[in-house]
Amino acid sequence: MSAIETRDTAGAEPAPPPPAWSGSLMRWLWLGPLLASMLLPFAWMLAVSLSETSGGSFARAISGPLGLGNYRGLFGAANVARYFANSALVAAAVVVLNVLTAAAVGYVLARRRVPGERFWSLGIVATLMLPKQVLMIPLYLVMARMHLLDSYSALILPFAVDAFSIFLVRQYVLGLPIELEEAARVDGASDWMIFRKIVLPLMKPVLAVVAIQAFLTNWNSFLFPLIFVDSDRLRTLPVGLALLSQTEHSVDWGFLMAGSTAASLPVLVVFIAFQRHIMSGLLAGAEK
Amino acid sequence: MRSYSRATAWTLFSPWVVTFALFGLYPFAFSLAASFTDYSPINAASARFVGADNYVRALRDPAFWSSLGNTAMFVVGTIPFTTLLALGLALAVQPAFRGRTIFRVGFFLPSVVSVVVLSLVFKGLYAPNGSLNGLLHALGLPTPSWLLDPNTALPAIMAMDVWAASGYYMVIFLAGLEAIPRDLYEAARLEGASWWGCLRHITLPLLRPTLLFVLVVNTVRSLQIFAEVFVMTRGGPLHRTTTVVYYLYEEAFYRFNLGYASAVAYLLFILTLLLAWAQSRLVGRTSGVGA
Repeated sequence: MSAIETRDTAGAEPAPPPPAWSGSLMRWLWLGPLLASMLLPFAWMLAVSLSETSGGSFARAISGPLGLGNYRGLFGAANVARYFANSALVAAAVVVLNVLTAAAVGYVLARRRVPGERFWSLGIVATLMLPKQVLMIPLYLVMARMHLLDSYSALILPFAVDAFSIFLVRQYVLGLPIELEEAARVDGASDWMIFRKIVLPLMKPVLAVVAIQAFLTNWNSFLFPLIFVDSDRLRTLPVGLALLSQTEHSVDWGFLMAGSTAASLPVLVVFIAFQRHIMSGLLAGAEK
Repeated sequence: MRSYSRATAWTLFSPWVVTFALFGLYPFAFSLAASFTDYSPINAASARFVGADNYVRALRDPAFWSSLGNTAMFVVGTIPFTTLLALGLALAVQPAFRGRTIFRVGFFLPSVVSVVVLSLVFKGLYAPNGSLNGLLHALGLPTPSWLLDPNTALPAIMAMDVWAASGYYMVIFLAGLEAIPRDLYEAARLEGASWWGCLRHITLPLLRPTLLFVLVVNTVRSLQIFAEVFVMTRGGPLHRTTTVVYYLYEEAFYRFNLGYASAVAYLLFILTLLLAWAQSRLVGRTSGVGA
């Protein structure tokens, strides 16, 4: 796996001595204000969500009393708790299916075990390059024909197998030595056993990247959940929030920002915790 | 040595075959066919073949052209800024310094948050009596009504996009910067080259492939802008923020003209391919890397 490996070897180079604080301070002096101003919208979001009297004003939010009233209102009102549960359920299903299928398909593809490897690879790269929105009408039409609309299946099945995930695994397997697998085959292990007991454990790092990417993408997904689902009880968080913001809560900024903060919290936690994995996945994408 | 099992291989591989057929080729072929009919879910059984009517209609429809114009404005008006900002940020956070990760993570942060959330936040900031206008008022500057004003609505969404997207492309640029061999810089410095000289004669030329990638990916993405418009303006005021994908959405899901919408989707698809191809030719040629 090119990107992850180059990063690892780069890390193995004799590390330069840690930079002095004096030089770093200069950079902090001009980058610090820049970063702070770029993060201001998030500060506004958080402050307004914690203030019950701000009316959307930053000044009033940070000077007035803070509290969790908006969050109580959020989870008490409407079906927001349900949206949250739907998002979690769909994301969990998509992550699990994505990891399993990417592992299997990516492995077979890398080891050229099925005829027409070039045809399949081309299909995967084309799917990967093509923006999904271009397929919005086509996908909607066939989902309607297959009677899959307005169900959990509509939110999960089209996203269960992902070209980018497969691509990541394929690149990774290309970097694994094949000798282990051949040795096991000589010892009489079946292909299935080789995949389960030897290849799968070796894939753990790339499967972690796949899981994180799948989670972030799916949790934030908006367009397809919007058009595939009609029933309120099936709505995911981004769709529910967007629609609430256009109906009864259109200028209830405390409510909307509590919802926005709550919707961002899971991805922020995952992002901060796995920041290295995410960057490496991104870099692998950049080298496709 | 025993040869491997075809059956196992196909079993492991089957998820992609099914997905590619069911959610890739089938929709593609079906909607291509639908784009030549007056198909809608209501008349699914009685859809009539209408030839190229849908395409002709799209090409004659002022609403389609205006959505294309808005999208073009969005692409042309954001990409130079996003690219420059992303490159600048990448150059700023590439060298080793203490706390570098805080900046890398911080600038990237908007990229992991849902576009719906970002759009809601900016809708609040852009409100006529919102915090942005409060700040502008305090500074004695004019306070437009941003998303409610036909002249400022699209630029306001574009400004948010530059803010939201630059961290993502910063990371891509960082990958390109890391790939440039360090001894080039060391050699240049021994020859007495300045920081600016290194940037012009080493960094930028060697960064061309990354630049191309960033331009293509960002163009393709920008042609698909939808959630921002849905949340912030619903295409208004006066359709001034109706992008192609939003237009597509309205035609398909408000007016249920799915045959027509399929045709528009194919036009967008062709446009996307053409632009990506043109960009790769353009940047490829000037860099001598070859497209």
